Amino acid sequence: MKAMILAAGKGTRVRPITNIVPKPMIPLLGKPLMESIVEHLRNSGFDQIVVNTSHLAPVIQSYFRDGSQFGVQMAYSFEGLLSAGKLEGEAIGSAGGMKRVQEFSGFFDDTFAVLCGDALVNVDFREAVRFHRERGAVATIILRDVPREEVFRYGVVATDENGRISQFQEKPNVDEAISTRINTGIYLFEPSVFEFIPSSRPFDIGGELFPALVAAGAPIFGVELPFEWVDIGSIPDYWEASRQAVSGRIKGYTLPGREVEPGIHVGINVRWNPSRTTVTGPVVIGGSTSIGDGAVIEGPSVIGAGCVIEPGAVVRECILGDYTRVSAIARLDRVLVFGNECIQPTGEHLGIEEAGISWVVDDARRKTELVGHERELYELVREFAD
Amino acid sequence: MRFEEIRVGSVLVAKVLDGRIAADVAPRFKSKLAEYMVDGNRSIVIDLGSVSFIDSSGLGALVSSLKSMGKDGDLVISSAQGTVATMFKLTRMDKVFRMYDNCDAAVAALS
Repeated sequence: MKAMILAAGKGTRVRPITNIVPKPMIPLLGKPLMESIVEHLRNSGFDQIVVNTSHLAPVIQSYFRDGSQFGVQMAYSFEGLLSAGKLEGEAIGSAGGMKRVQEFSGFFDDTFAVLCGDALVNVDFREAVRFHRERGAVATIILRDVPREEVFRYGVVATDENGRISQFQEKPNVDEAISTRINTGIYLFEPSVFEFIPSSRPFDIGGELFPALVAAGAPIFGVELPFEWVDIGSIPDYWEASRQAVSGRIKGYTLPGREVEPGIHVGINVRWNPSRTTVTGPVVIGGSTSIGDGAVIEGPSVIGAGCVIEPGAVVRECILGDYTRVSAIARLDRVLVFGNECIQPTGEHLGIEEAGISWVVDDARRKTELVGHERELYELVREFAD
Repeated sequence: MRFEEIRVGSVLVAKVLDGRIAADVAPRFKSKLAEYMVDGNRSIVIDLGSVSFIDSSGLGALVSSLKSMGKDGDLVISSAQGTVATMFKLTRMDKVFRMYDNCDAAVAALS
Protein backbone atom coordinates (compact mmCIF):
# COMPACT_ATOMS: atom_id res chain seq x y z
CA MET A 1 0.00 0.00 0.00
CA LYS A 2 0.97 3.62 -0.46
CA ALA A 3 1.18 6.43 2.03
CA MET A 4 2.11 10.07 2.16
CA ILE A 5 3.77 11.79 5.11
CA LEU A 6 3.16 15.52 5.40
CA ALA A 7 6.50 17.04 6.34
CA ALA A 8 6.53 20.47 4.70
CA GLY A 9 5.44 22.59 7.66
CA LYS A 10 7.62 25.25 9.23
CA GLY A 11 6.83 24.14 12.77
CA THR A 12 6.57 27.70 14.05
CA ARG A 13 5.06 26.64 17.38
CA VAL A 14 8.07 24.45 18.13
CA ARG A 15 10.67 27.16 17.58
CA PRO A 16 13.50 27.48 18.31
CA ILE A 17 13.96 23.70 17.87
CA THR A 18 12.53 23.90 14.34
CA ASN A 19 15.05 26.58 13.42
CA ILE A 20 17.51 23.71 13.15
CA VAL A 21 15.48 20.59 12.44
CA PRO A 22 12.15 20.29 10.65
CA LYS A 23 9.35 19.19 12.93
CA PRO A 24 9.26 15.54 11.74
CA MET A 25 12.95 15.24 12.64
CA ILE A 26 12.56 16.38 16.25
CA PRO A 27 14.26 13.66 18.27
CA LEU A 28 12.37 11.76 20.93
CA LEU A 29 15.09 10.05 22.97
CA GLY A 30 17.41 10.66 20.05
CA LYS A 31 15.14 9.15 17.40
CA PRO A 32 13.36 11.41 14.91
CA LEU A 33 9.56 11.26 15.23
CA MET A 34 9.22 10.49 11.55
CA GLU A 35 11.41 7.40 11.86
CA SER A 36 8.84 5.90 14.23
CA ILE A 37 6.09 6.82 11.75
CA VAL A 38 7.92 5.17 8.85
CA GLU A 39 8.48 2.04 10.95
CA HIS A 40 4.83 1.88 11.91
CA LEU A 41 3.72 2.33 8.31
CA ARG A 42 6.07 -0.45 7.23
CA ASN A 43 4.74 -2.74 9.96
CA SER A 44 1.20 -1.92 8.84
CA GLY A 45 1.81 -3.01 5.24
CA PHE A 46 2.72 0.30 3.60
CA ASP A 47 5.73 -0.18 1.37
CA GLN A 48 5.78 2.99 -0.75
CA ILE A 49 5.91 6.32 1.05
CA VAL A 50 6.07 9.71 -0.58
CA VAL A 51 7.00 12.66 1.63
CA ASN A 52 6.32 16.30 0.83
CA THR A 53 9.11 18.51 2.09
CA SER A 54 9.92 22.21 2.18
CA HIS A 55 11.36 23.75 5.36
CA LEU A 56 14.84 22.22 5.90
CA ALA A 57 14.00 19.54 3.34
CA PRO A 58 17.60 18.24 3.04
CA VAL A 59 17.59 17.21 6.72
CA ILE A 60 14.70 14.81 6.04
CA GLN A 61 15.92 13.59 2.67
CA SER A 62 19.47 12.90 3.73
CA TYR A 63 18.22 10.90 6.73
CA PHE A 64 15.67 8.66 5.02
CA ARG A 65 17.17 8.67 1.49
CA ASP A 66 15.33 6.06 -0.59
CA GLY A 67 13.92 4.34 2.48
CA SER A 68 15.67 1.03 1.86
CA GLN A 69 17.41 1.07 5.23
CA PHE A 70 13.95 1.29 6.82
CA GLY A 71 12.52 -1.51 4.68
CA VAL A 72 10.31 0.71 2.51
CA GLN A 73 10.60 2.72 -0.70
CA MET A 74 10.57 6.47 -0.19
CA ALA A 75 10.54 9.49 -2.48
CA TYR A 76 10.09 13.20 -1.94
CA SER A 77 7.95 15.97 -3.36
CA PHE A 78 9.87 19.18 -2.71
CA GLU A 79 7.65 22.23 -2.45
CA GLY A 80 9.78 25.22 -3.27
CA LEU A 81 12.56 26.57 -5.44
CA LEU A 82 16.31 26.85 -5.40
CA SER A 83 16.88 30.58 -5.58
CA ALA A 84 20.24 32.36 -5.32
CA GLY A 85 21.77 29.20 -3.91
CA LYS A 86 19.13 28.80 -1.18
CA LEU A 87 16.10 26.55 -0.99
CA GLU A 88 12.95 28.60 -0.57
CA GLY A 89 9.70 27.00 0.49
CA GLU A 90 6.43 27.49 -1.31
CA ALA A 91 3.19 27.06 0.64
CA ILE A 92 0.73 24.95 -1.32
CA GLY A 93 -1.19 23.45 1.60
CA SER A 94 -1.51 19.83 2.67
CA ALA A 95 -4.12 18.87 0.05
CA GLY A 96 -2.17 20.91 -2.51
CA GLY A 97 0.86 18.76 -1.68
CA MET A 98 -1.15 15.57 -2.32
CA LYS A 99 -2.42 16.99 -5.61
CA ARG A 100 1.08 17.87 -6.75
CA VAL A 101 2.21 14.25 -6.26
CA GLN A 102 -0.83 12.91 -8.06
CA GLU A 103 -0.46 15.26 -11.00
CA PHE A 104 3.24 14.45 -11.24
CA SER A 105 2.91 10.69 -11.73
CA GLY A 106 -0.59 9.48 -10.81
CA PHE A 107 1.12 7.85 -7.80
CA PHE A 108 -2.03 7.14 -5.78
CA ASP A 109 -3.90 4.32 -7.52
CA ASP A 110 -5.69 2.63 -4.61
CA THR A 111 -6.68 3.33 -1.00
CA PHE A 112 -3.84 5.33 0.55
CA ALA A 113 -2.95 6.84 3.91
CA VAL A 114 -1.91 10.43 4.60
CA LEU A 115 -0.55 11.48 7.95
CA CYS A 116 1.36 14.27 9.59
CA GLY A 117 5.06 13.71 10.18
CA ASP A 118 5.06 15.25 13.62
CA ALA A 119 2.96 12.95 15.79
CA LEU A 120 3.91 9.57 17.11
CA VAL A 121 1.11 7.13 16.33
CA ASN A 122 0.52 3.40 16.41
CA VAL A 123 -2.96 3.36 14.94
CA ASP A 124 -4.19 -0.01 13.65
CA PHE A 125 -4.20 0.83 9.94
CA ARG A 126 -5.53 -2.58 8.94
CA GLU A 127 -8.62 -1.99 11.06
CA ALA A 128 -8.94 1.56 9.74
CA VAL A 129 -8.69 0.38 6.10
CA ARG A 130 -11.34 -2.30 6.76
CA PHE A 131 -13.69 0.37 8.18
CA HIS A 132 -12.93 2.72 5.28
CA ARG A 133 -13.65 0.12 2.60
CA GLU A 134 -16.74 -1.30 4.31
CA ARG A 135 -18.29 2.16 4.32
CA GLY A 136 -17.30 2.89 0.73
CA ALA A 137 -15.67 6.09 1.95
CA VAL A 138 -13.76 8.50 -0.24
CA ALA A 139 -12.09 9.78 2.91
CA THR A 140 -11.84 8.47 6.47
CA ILE A 141 -10.42 10.47 9.34
CA ILE A 142 -8.96 8.76 12.38
CA LEU A 143 -10.60 10.46 15.34
CA ARG A 144 -9.78 10.71 18.96
CA ASP A 145 -11.86 11.73 21.94
CA VAL A 146 -10.20 14.44 24.04
CA PRO A 147 -11.21 16.23 27.24
CA ARG A 148 -13.56 19.10 26.36
CA GLU A 149 -11.12 21.73 27.66
CA GLU A 150 -8.61 20.72 24.96
CA VAL A 151 -10.87 21.00 21.89
CA PHE A 152 -9.79 24.57 21.14
CA ARG A 153 -6.46 23.21 19.89
CA TYR A 154 -7.93 20.93 17.23
CA GLY A 155 -10.32 20.42 14.35
CA VAL A 156 -13.51 18.96 15.81
CA VAL A 157 -15.79 16.52 13.98
CA ALA A 158 -19.43 15.47 14.39
CA THR A 159 -20.56 12.10 12.98
CA ASP A 160 -23.80 10.13 12.72
CA GLU A 161 -24.15 6.65 14.24
CA ASN A 162 -22.46 5.03 11.21
CA GLY A 163 -19.46 7.28 11.52
CA ARG A 164 -20.43 9.51 8.60
CA ILE A 165 -19.16 13.03 9.17
CA SER A 166 -21.78 15.77 9.13
CA GLN A 167 -19.90 18.78 10.38
CA PHE A 168 -16.42 20.21 10.98
CA GLN A 169 -15.30 22.92 13.30
CA GLU A 170 -11.77 24.35 13.29
CA LYS A 171 -10.39 25.10 16.76
CA PRO A 172 -13.73 25.97 18.40
CA ASN A 173 -14.26 27.65 21.72
CA VAL A 174 -14.80 25.08 24.44
CA ASP A 175 -18.43 26.24 24.90
CA GLU A 176 -19.26 26.05 21.23
CA ALA A 177 -17.64 22.72 20.31
CA ILE A 178 -20.01 20.37 18.44
CA SER A 179 -18.26 17.32 19.92
CA THR A 180 -15.08 16.28 21.71
CA ARG A 181 -13.89 14.03 18.86
CA ILE A 182 -10.98 15.57 17.07
CA ASN A 183 -9.15 15.12 13.80
CA THR A 184 -5.77 13.49 14.51
CA GLY A 185 -4.29 14.30 11.11
CA ILE A 186 -4.34 10.65 10.04
CA TYR A 187 -6.42 9.96 6.95
CA LEU A 188 -7.33 7.28 4.43
CA PHE A 189 -8.36 8.36 0.95
CA GLU A 190 -9.48 6.93 -2.34
CA PRO A 191 -7.84 8.38 -5.46
CA SER A 192 -11.23 9.85 -6.41
CA VAL A 193 -10.63 12.47 -3.69
CA PHE A 194 -8.44 14.38 -6.15
CA GLU A 195 -11.58 15.48 -8.00
CA PHE A 196 -12.20 17.76 -5.03
CA ILE A 197 -8.74 19.34 -4.89
CA PRO A 198 -8.01 22.23 -7.28
CA SER A 199 -4.67 22.25 -9.12
CA SER A 200 -3.76 25.84 -9.23
CA ARG A 201 -3.94 27.15 -5.69
CA PRO A 202 -2.92 26.25 -2.12
CA PHE A 203 -5.46 23.90 -0.55
CA ASP A 204 -5.70 22.58 2.99
CA ILE A 205 -7.02 19.16 4.02
CA GLY A 206 -8.72 20.11 7.28
CA GLY A 207 -9.86 23.61 6.46
CA GLU A 208 -10.88 23.21 2.81
CA LEU A 209 -10.94 19.67 1.46
CA PHE A 210 -13.12 18.12 4.16
CA PRO A 211 -15.71 20.92 4.19
CA ALA A 212 -15.81 20.63 0.37
CA LEU A 213 -16.43 16.87 0.63
CA VAL A 214 -19.23 17.37 3.16
CA ALA A 215 -20.77 20.13 1.04
CA ALA A 216 -20.69 17.87 -2.03
CA GLY A 217 -22.34 15.01 -0.12
CA ALA A 218 -19.30 12.78 -0.66
CA PRO A 219 -18.94 9.79 1.69
CA ILE A 220 -16.54 10.99 4.34
CA PHE A 221 -16.29 9.03 7.58
CA GLY A 222 -14.58 9.23 10.94
CA VAL A 223 -13.50 6.30 13.06
CA GLU A 224 -12.28 6.38 16.61
CA LEU A 225 -9.70 3.70 17.28
CA PRO A 226 -7.67 3.21 20.45
CA PHE A 227 -4.05 4.08 19.82
CA GLU A 228 -1.08 5.92 21.26
CA TRP A 229 -0.95 9.44 19.92
CA VAL A 230 1.88 11.70 20.96
CA ASP A 231 1.43 15.01 19.23
CA ILE A 232 4.42 17.35 19.23
CA GLY A 233 2.62 20.56 18.38
CA SER A 234 4.49 22.87 20.71
CA ILE A 235 7.43 23.10 23.11
CA PRO A 236 5.26 22.11 26.12
CA ASP A 237 4.11 19.07 24.09
CA TYR A 238 7.71 18.12 23.34
CA TRP A 239 8.72 18.60 26.95
CA GLU A 240 5.91 16.33 28.14
CA ALA A 241 6.46 13.73 25.40
CA SER A 242 10.16 13.43 26.22
CA ARG A 243 9.40 12.97 29.91
CA GLN A 244 6.76 10.35 29.14
CA ALA A 245 9.11 8.53 26.76
CA VAL A 246 12.07 8.39 29.14
CA SER A 247 9.72 7.22 31.90
CA GLY A 248 8.64 4.30 29.69
CA ARG A 249 5.07 5.56 29.62
CA ILE A 250 4.67 5.60 25.84
CA LYS A 251 3.43 2.13 25.05
CA GLY A 252 5.61 0.38 22.52
CA TYR A 253 8.29 3.08 22.47
CA THR A 254 11.66 1.43 22.93
CA LEU A 255 14.18 3.13 25.17
CA PRO A 256 17.63 3.33 23.59
CA GLY A 257 20.84 1.95 25.04
CA ARG A 258 21.32 -0.69 27.71
CA GLU A 259 19.50 -0.56 31.02
CA VAL A 260 22.44 -0.60 33.47
CA GLU A 261 20.27 0.02 36.52
CA PRO A 262 16.49 0.16 36.78
CA GLY A 263 15.38 3.21 34.79
CA ILE A 264 18.88 4.18 33.64
CA HIS A 265 19.55 3.52 29.97
CA VAL A 266 23.02 4.19 28.66
CA GLY A 267 24.46 4.20 25.14
CA ILE A 268 27.87 2.89 24.17
CA ASN A 269 31.24 4.59 24.65
CA VAL A 270 30.04 6.53 27.69
CA ARG A 271 32.63 7.79 30.18
CA TRP A 272 30.99 7.52 33.57
CA ASN A 273 31.84 6.11 36.96
CA PRO A 274 28.47 5.33 38.61
CA SER A 275 30.01 5.03 42.06
CA ARG A 276 31.29 8.61 41.90
CA THR A 277 28.12 10.26 40.60
CA THR A 278 24.49 10.39 41.66
CA VAL A 279 22.19 9.39 38.85
CA THR A 280 18.55 8.69 39.63
CA GLY A 281 16.27 7.48 36.87
CA PRO A 282 14.44 7.59 34.71
CA VAL A 283 17.39 8.78 32.66
CA VAL A 284 18.60 8.08 29.14
CA ILE A 285 22.26 8.85 28.44
CA GLY A 286 23.34 8.97 24.80
CA GLY A 287 26.50 7.44 23.38
CA SER A 288 29.93 9.10 23.67
CA THR A 289 28.77 11.26 26.57
CA SER A 290 30.97 11.91 29.58
CA ILE A 291 29.70 12.45 33.09
CA GLY A 292 32.24 13.85 35.49
CA ASP A 293 32.74 12.70 39.05
CA GLY A 294 30.47 14.39 41.55
CA ALA A 295 27.82 15.19 38.94
CA VAL A 296 24.19 14.75 39.87
CA ILE A 297 21.55 13.78 37.33
CA GLU A 298 17.93 13.45 38.39
CA GLY A 299 15.21 12.04 36.18
CA PRO A 300 13.17 12.25 34.23
CA SER A 301 16.09 13.49 32.17
CA VAL A 302 17.39 12.88 28.69
CA ILE A 303 21.11 13.44 28.10
CA GLY A 304 21.86 13.43 24.39
CA ALA A 305 24.83 11.91 22.60
CA GLY A 306 28.27 13.51 22.83
CA CYS A 307 27.35 15.58 25.89
CA VAL A 308 29.83 16.67 28.55
CA ILE A 309 28.48 16.89 32.09
CA GLU A 310 31.39 18.43 33.95
CA PRO A 311 32.39 17.27 37.45
CA GLY A 312 30.02 18.60 40.06
CA ALA A 313 27.34 19.80 37.64
CA VAL A 314 23.71 19.23 38.62
CA VAL A 315 21.08 18.36 36.02
CA ARG A 316 17.55 18.02 37.36
CA GLU A 317 14.71 16.99 35.08
CA CYS A 318 16.29 18.29 31.88
CA ILE A 319 16.22 17.39 28.22
CA LEU A 320 19.68 18.00 26.78
CA GLY A 321 20.23 17.78 23.05
CA ASP A 322 23.32 16.17 21.53
CA TYR A 323 26.64 17.87 22.26
CA THR A 324 25.53 19.88 25.27
CA ARG A 325 28.24 20.88 27.72
CA VAL A 326 27.01 21.54 31.25
CA SER A 327 29.64 23.44 33.19
CA ALA A 328 30.84 22.42 36.64
CA ILE A 329 29.09 25.36 38.31
CA ALA A 330 25.76 24.79 36.53
CA ARG A 331 22.60 23.72 38.33
CA LEU A 332 20.19 23.09 35.49
CA ASP A 333 16.63 22.62 36.65
CA ARG A 334 13.75 21.78 34.31
CA VAL A 335 15.28 23.17 31.18
CA LEU A 336 15.63 21.97 27.63
CA VAL A 337 18.89 22.66 25.83
CA PHE A 338 18.79 22.32 22.09
CA GLY A 339 20.86 23.85 19.33
CA ASN A 340 22.42 26.69 21.28
CA GLU A 341 19.20 27.64 23.07
CA CYS A 342 18.10 27.17 26.67
CA ILE A 343 14.37 26.57 26.48
CA GLN A 344 11.89 26.62 29.35
CA PRO A 345 9.13 23.98 29.35
CA THR A 346 6.74 26.83 28.60
CA GLY A 347 8.64 27.69 25.41
CA GLU A 348 10.47 30.84 26.54
CA HIS A 349 14.02 30.61 25.34
CA LEU A 350 17.39 32.21 25.67
CA GLY A 351 20.15 32.08 23.07
CA ILE A 352 23.32 30.80 24.73
CA GLU A 353 25.65 32.92 22.61
CA GLU A 354 23.43 35.99 22.61
CA ALA A 355 23.06 35.91 26.39
CA GLY A 356 26.75 35.19 26.89
CA ILE A 357 26.19 32.16 29.12
CA SER A 358 28.55 29.68 27.53
CA TRP A 359 30.24 29.54 30.94
CA VAL A 360 27.09 27.76 32.19
CA VAL A 361 26.01 25.70 29.22
CA ASP A 362 27.45 25.46 25.72
CA ASP A 363 28.00 23.29 22.70
CA ALA A 364 30.48 20.63 23.80
CA ARG A 365 32.37 20.97 20.52
CA ARG A 366 33.14 24.63 21.06
CA LYS A 367 36.23 25.76 22.91
CA THR A 368 34.81 27.81 25.74
CA GLU A 369 36.78 30.98 26.35
CA LEU A 370 35.47 33.25 29.06
CA VAL A 371 35.71 37.02 28.59
CA GLY A 372 36.31 39.31 31.58
CA HIS A 373 32.89 39.60 33.21
CA GLU A 374 32.06 35.96 32.38
CA ARG A 375 35.10 34.76 34.31
CA GLU A 376 34.12 37.05 37.18
CA LEU A 377 30.60 35.60 37.26
CA TYR A 378 31.91 32.05 36.98
CA GLU A 379 34.28 32.55 39.92
CA LEU A 380 31.57 34.26 41.96
CA VAL A 381 29.14 31.41 41.46
CA ARG A 382 31.83 28.89 42.28
CA GLU A 383 32.59 30.67 45.55
CA PHE A 384 29.19 31.76 46.80
CA ALA A 385 26.24 30.17 45.16
CA ASP A 386 26.20 26.96 47.19
CA MET B 1 19.87 54.12 29.19
CA ARG B 2 16.66 55.27 30.82
CA PHE B 3 15.59 54.85 34.42
CA GLU B 4 12.61 55.86 36.49
CA GLU B 5 13.61 56.61 40.05
CA ILE B 6 11.17 56.56 42.93
CA ARG B 7 12.08 57.08 46.54
CA VAL B 8 10.04 55.20 49.14
CA GLY B 9 11.32 56.25 52.55
CA SER B 10 14.96 55.29 52.66
CA VAL B 11 14.66 52.95 49.68
CA LEU B 12 15.52 53.98 46.12
CA VAL B 13 13.59 52.08 43.47
CA ALA B 14 15.33 52.29 40.10
CA LYS B 15 13.13 50.94 37.37
CA VAL B 16 15.02 50.16 34.18
CA LEU B 17 12.96 51.44 31.26
CA ASP B 18 15.07 49.91 28.48
CA GLY B 19 13.89 46.54 27.18
CA ARG B 20 17.41 45.17 26.81
CA ILE B 21 20.47 45.25 29.01
CA ALA B 22 23.30 43.96 26.86
CA ALA B 23 26.97 44.71 26.21
CA ASP B 24 26.22 48.03 24.47
CA VAL B 25 24.59 49.58 27.56
CA ALA B 26 26.19 47.58 30.38
CA PRO B 27 28.94 50.18 31.11
CA ARG B 28 26.29 52.93 31.39
CA PHE B 29 24.17 50.65 33.59
CA LYS B 30 27.13 50.03 35.87
CA SER B 31 28.05 53.72 36.12
CA LYS B 32 24.44 54.68 36.91
CA LEU B 33 24.35 52.16 39.76
CA ALA B 34 27.68 53.56 40.98
CA GLU B 35 26.16 57.09 40.94
CA TYR B 36 23.31 55.93 43.16
CA MET B 37 25.82 54.66 45.71
CA VAL B 38 27.98 57.79 45.50
CA ASP B 39 24.80 59.76 46.22
CA GLY B 40 24.53 57.87 49.49
CA ASN B 41 21.83 55.36 48.63
CA ARG B 42 22.25 52.26 50.74
CA SER B 43 18.94 50.49 49.96
CA ILE B 44 18.39 50.06 46.26
CA VAL B 45 15.78 48.04 44.40
CA ILE B 46 16.52 47.44 40.73
CA ASP B 47 13.15 46.87 39.10
CA LEU B 48 13.58 44.75 35.96
CA GLY B 49 9.86 44.49 35.20
CA SER B 50 10.19 46.25 31.84
CA VAL B 51 13.32 44.38 30.79
CA SER B 52 12.82 41.50 28.40
CA PHE B 53 16.47 40.57 27.89
CA ILE B 54 19.62 40.78 29.95
CA ASP B 55 22.92 39.22 28.94
CA SER B 56 25.89 38.24 31.05
CA SER B 57 27.47 41.70 30.74
CA GLY B 58 24.29 43.13 32.30
CA LEU B 59 24.59 40.61 35.10
CA GLY B 60 28.27 41.53 35.41
CA ALA B 61 27.29 45.19 35.95
CA LEU B 62 24.86 44.16 38.69
CA VAL B 63 27.42 41.91 40.38
CA SER B 64 30.08 44.65 40.37
CA SER B 65 27.58 47.01 41.97
CA LEU B 66 26.61 44.43 44.55
CA LYS B 67 30.29 44.04 45.45
CA SER B 68 30.74 47.83 45.67
CA MET B 69 27.76 48.06 47.97
CA GLY B 70 29.42 45.51 50.22
CA LYS B 71 27.92 44.79 53.61
CA ASP B 72 26.91 48.40 54.27
CA GLY B 73 23.78 48.30 52.17
CA ASP B 74 21.33 46.33 50.10
CA LEU B 75 21.02 46.01 46.35
CA VAL B 76 18.10 43.76 45.44
CA ILE B 77 16.25 42.77 42.27
CA SER B 78 12.54 42.91 41.69
CA SER B 79 10.03 41.90 39.02
CA ALA B 80 12.37 39.78 36.88
CA GLN B 81 10.23 37.75 34.52
CA GLY B 82 10.38 35.59 31.41
CA THR B 83 13.85 35.15 29.97
CA VAL B 84 15.28 37.61 32.49
CA ALA B 85 14.16 35.37 35.34
CA THR B 86 15.51 32.39 33.40
CA MET B 87 18.84 34.15 33.02
CA PHE B 88 19.15 34.71 36.79
CA LYS B 89 18.20 31.11 37.47
CA LEU B 90 20.48 29.53 34.86
CA THR B 91 23.48 31.52 36.00
CA ARG B 92 22.54 31.02 39.66
CA MET B 93 22.51 34.75 40.19
CA ASP B 94 19.16 34.12 41.91
CA LYS B 95 21.30 32.77 44.75
CA VAL B 96 23.70 35.73 44.68
CA PHE B 97 21.00 38.42 44.68
CA ARG B 98 17.96 38.76 46.85
CA MET B 99 15.11 38.62 44.38
CA TYR B 100 11.50 39.69 44.84
CA ASP B 101 8.47 39.05 42.65
CA ASN B 102 7.41 42.68 42.72
CA CYS B 103 8.56 46.09 43.74
CA ASP B 104 6.33 46.38 46.80
CA ALA B 105 7.72 43.18 48.29
CA ALA B 106 11.27 44.39 47.68
CA VAL B 107 10.59 47.79 49.27
CA ALA B 108 8.89 46.16 52.25
CA ALA B 109 11.89 43.89 52.75
CA LEU B 110 14.33 46.80 52.75
CA SER B 111 12.23 49.24 54.80
